[in-house]
Formats: sequence, structure tokens, C-alpha cells
Amino acid sequence: MRRASLIEGLEPGEIVLRDATRAFNVRADQARTLKGVLLGRREPGPPPVPALQGVTVRIAPGETVGMVGRNGAGKTSTLRVLAGIVPLESGEAGCGGRVVSLLELAAGFSRDFSGRDNVYLQGALYGLDRSQINERIDKIIEFSELDSFIDIPVKTYSSGMFVRLGFAIAAHLDADVLLIDEVLAVGDEGFQRKCLRRISEQIAAGSTVVLVSHDAGAIERVCERVIVLDGGKVEFDGPTAEGLLHYHRLMGTERGGGESLRGGAPRTVNVEDVELRDGAGRPASVFRSGEAMQVRIGLRATEHVSEPQVVLEFRSQDGATVFRTETTAELGPDGTGELAYEVAQLRLLGGDYDLAVGAPELDRTVHFSIPRETVDLDGSWQVSERTR
Amino acid sequence: MRRHSYLFSQLVRRELRRKYKGSTLGPVWYLVNPLVMMGAYTLMFDYILKSVTYPDYPIFLLAGLVVWTFFQQSLLAAAESLIDQGGLVRKARFPREAIPAASVAAQLGTFGAMLVLLIPLALALRGTLKPALLLLPVILALLFAFVLGIALIVAVLHAYFRDVAPILTAALLPWFFLTPIFFEPGHFDFVKHHAWARLLLEWVNPIAPFVQGFRTVLYYGRAPTPGQLVYVFAAAVIALGLGSLVFRQLEGDLAVVV
Repeated sequence: MRRASLIEGLEPGEIVLRDATRAFNVRADQARTLKGVLLGRREPGPPPVPALQGVTVRIAPGETVGMVGRNGAGKTSTLRVLAGIVPLESGEAGCGGRVVSLLELAAGFSRDFSGRDNVYLQGALYGLDRSQINERIDKIIEFSELDSFIDIPVKTYSSGMFVRLGFAIAAHLDADVLLIDEVLAVGDEGFQRKCLRRISEQIAAGSTVVLVSHDAGAIERVCERVIVLDGGKVEFDGPTAEGLLHYHRLMGTERGGGESLRGGAPRTVNVEDVELRDGAGRPASVFRSGEAMQVRIGLRATEHVSEPQVVLEFRSQDGATVFRTETTAELGPDGTGELAYEVAQLRLLGGDYDLAVGAPELDRTVHFSIPRETVDLDGSWQVSERTR
Repeated sequence: MRRHSYLFSQLVRRELRRKYKGSTLGPVWYLVNPLVMMGAYTLMFDYILKSVTYPDYPIFLLAGLVVWTFFQQSLLAAAESLIDQGGLVRKARFPREAIPAASVAAQLGTFGAMLVLLIPLALALRGTLKPALLLLPVILALLFAFVLGIALIVAVLHAYFRDVAPILTAALLPWFFLTPIFFEPGHFDFVKHHAWARLLLEWVNPIAPFVQGFRTVLYYGRAPTPGQLVYVFAAAVIALGLGSLVFRQLEGDLAVVV
């Protein structure tokens, strides 16, 4: 086997994976026993799971990349390899500058120490010294919203407080590369928004960001490029809209179903805007189940196309396609056009949904949600005969 | 490495605080154990069995005990260190050897306190304030390097094979009695008549020359034999070299196994 190596001399913020390969043994009991090793016996267990198989990716400084794929597709492994935490079996990997990984945010705290002490320890873990942490500590504490809790031992913290402090530390280390794993799924909604805002600030400051998430909405808001991983291989690498669509197909039932989404000619018809309106014609993003919905779509053609095809797809938050419809639009002489799709009764379960629109390649997504309502299943209790 | 010196100091601080956390007497406890052992062995050998008698026996005993205690506590602490700090290992990229090294360095606190207690006493009672005393810091530095090297091996092996720490714990007990702590090997007739026994007690056991060298300086006021000096130097270099080598070979998958 070729020995894996680390690529040196990259620009700060640059990420390179070359033919990266890594498999993991999955066993309930990770630790090998000396007996097993001495007897040269392999304990029975499932074969190693390939997390990365010849993955080659280059990310330029300042790029924002989303990484999606089903569970076990190798996303977190890729982040761990990039963060230098786990080595490759073969191939090369490298990450330039200071790499901060937002993996296991709540891990690595010393339970008997105060939050403040832990900030110093974790800062040191990323190679900062005392004065560099002193400069940042006030901002970190403020961001974490822990106030007076910062000076009591972290063993009294709730899991949300751990995550908030963990994120606050990681977000203030001036990372050249920020590796984020699914963390935005934690914390309350207000804090999630704050995290996203902080990440965009870092992006504006020129950090490279790799975001792993199942939340297509977050990826769409943050990333300009998407890498879809499946079975440890790169399935797709390109613009976000296409990438997410590819991902949804992968997750949905239409896997392997015909049409290619990759490459192709530049789009000739763009979806200019998509607007959701309720039954009364007012713009809305929250609908009640059973209510009416109107989707208004504005199109603009970059070259002459008379009757472009328009596709509309409803997706649930886990990425599955709930409903898909298409039609042909008519464009005016100036190359613009408008059309609407009306749903008389939106019979969907409570939850978050995405609506993707394209002509015909899906490149716009709007988000809407249906409140989860309390269900009243009225009945009565009876004592059964047998117990009498 | 300099970049990570602050991390190292933080890890040592954390280790020290963790040890003394919640106890009223704190660090004092770490002096109690060797002192109790000293008392027990003095009572046993000096007064009851009367089998090995050296003048100022408590000093004789303590000179060996401090070296042994440092060796033993360091290895036991280092063995568990990587697993205890698994959260850090899985979180970021930093030199992993900092973790076992910090747990060894934290033992220096106890060791230092014992030395502060022992050295003035030995110098006063034994009159050993002699030029040979200059060798003491050298021996201590080599002891630290030696223990650090072994600790690196023990720590990384235990992370992969969880049998290492129990085996070590079991081995340390007979090892303690075979180490010339409460006796000089030359004292026994059996050892005098069997060269192999002497070889075993004084040279095969790698910690023995450290114990004897340290005691020769502090208790007898003499320089150790050139053989002992060469031995401790070589043992320190080999242990540290081998320790770094083994650690480097195995550290890769630490984040996966701990």
C-alpha cells in the first residue's frame, strides 16, 4: 500500500485531497485486546467500511463548500482527514493555514474546570498562546451568552451551553479553514441564526468554509459549491443548486433515474424569482395544512427560447421529493415571462419543506413550513374483560 | 514545538488541578504515601526483622522510594492519559505526545516536593554536601527522560490494547521488591556468591541504576560508578528515542481508537 502523506506548502485557506483513501473498522468494541493481537487472530466483525475511496478535491482559498451525502457517505471522515485528526491510508491531503474544525463541539471540555479555563485550554489546543486568547476571550464569552456561568465548572452546563461555548471558541480563532460538521442542528433557533451570521462574517473575512449538513437550506444559504459524497466517492462536485438537486435525487426514489444533471450547456432560461402566496394572495412562508398555495415564478431568457420547460419540485426536509410537476411557459418578446402554479389544498404533514423551481434545471429554492398541530384523537378507555 | 508550549503548560495545569481537586489537603496527600511507606519499611526492616540495617535507614529508604514513586506514578498516569483526554485527541490536530508528557510532568510536582523534604535532611544527617552532589541534577534529568520515554510507549500501547495498564499494574508490584530500594544487592550472601543475581538486580532492571546512582550521591556522598553513569545516560537516550519512535508509529489512528 502506498503510504499516505501530508501536502505541505499550501496557501492559507487552500484545501487539497489527492486520491484520498481511508476505511474504518466498525466494531462495538473499538479496542483490540492484546490476546487477539498476540494470537494473530482477527476478531469476527463486519469488514472495514470505506469512508473515502480515491477522493480528489481541490478547494481554493475563500471558497464555501457544502458536503452532502447519506449517513455514512464519508463526510465526517473527510472533515477529520482535512482537520489532520485522522490519517489517510493512501493518497495525499493538505489544508493550509489554521484549520479549525467544529466537530464534536461539546467534546474536549474538562468537567471540573470553569468555562473560562476551558476557553484557554481549547484555544491552546489550536495553537494559540495566552495573549492571543486574552485578546479574544471577551468576544467569546459575549458570543456564548453564558454570562456569569462562564466562571463555574462546566459539569453544571446543559448540552446547549456546551455547544454554544464550543462554537464561540471555534468561531473566534481566526481560522483560515473552517470545517463545520452538522453543528448548526443544535442550539435554539436564535443561536443557530447567530452561528450562521458568524460564519458569513468569517466567509467575508476570507475564510474557506467546508460545511457538512443534512440541512439543504443551510447549505444553500452558506455555500456556493456542493460536493456530493456517496459510498466514499465524489458523486458530484459543482454549483450548489445542481449539487443539492443531485443530492435529493440520491436520497429520493429517483436514484439512477435517467437524466443527467451534470455539465451541459449554459442555461438559457433563468428563474428570476419565486414567490409563495397564501389563498388570499398575500406573500407567505408558513401555510396551514389544507390551505391554498400559489407559486409565482418569474423567468428571464438569455437567448431566444420560445417555450421553455419549467419544473417544480416539493421536497421534505430529509430531501425526499414529495411532489413534482412540469409545464411549458410562454415568454414575451423581451424574453421574460411569468407563470403561477396553484395548489387548492396543501395536504402536507407538519414540517419544513423546500420548493425547487427551474427551467428546466432546478436552480431556485424557496423554503416554507407547515406548523405541527396538536392532534386530537378523541376516544374513551375501557377496562377489558379479562382483568375483571 | 514552541508554538505548543502554551498548550503543554495548560495540559500540565489541568492534570495537577484534576489530581488535587476537591481534597482539603490537596498536594500534601502526595507526600503522605511515600512517607507512610518509609515509616512502614523502617519499622519492618530496621526494628522488627533487623535483616538490613543501614545508618539513618529512613533516609536510605526514602532516597530509593522517591525515585521509584516517580517512576511508578508516571507510568500509571501516562497509561490512562490518552484515553482520559480522548475528547481532545478527537477534536484537533496537535502533537499528541503532549498528553502523556504532561501527565509525567505533573508527577514532577510530587517528586519535587519530596526532594525538597529529603535533600536538606540527607545533607544534614549524612553530611553529603560534597562535589558529587553536582551530579544529582544530571541524574534527575536523565531519570525524567527515561521515564518520559517509557511513558510514551505505555500510553500509546494502552490506547490500542487496553490490557497494557492492568499488566503494568501487576508487574510494578514484584518489580518494586526486586528494585534495590530498601536494600543494597551486595548486602546479601546469596547475591555475593551468584554473579547472575547481582547482574539481574543491578543491571537488568533498568530503573535500578537510577535508584542506586541517586542514592550513592545523596546518601553516601559519592559519585556513582562510571558504569552506572554510562548506564543511566544510555538508558535515558534509548528510552526516549524508542519511545518517540513507537509513539510516532502508532499515533496516527489515536483519534479512531481512543
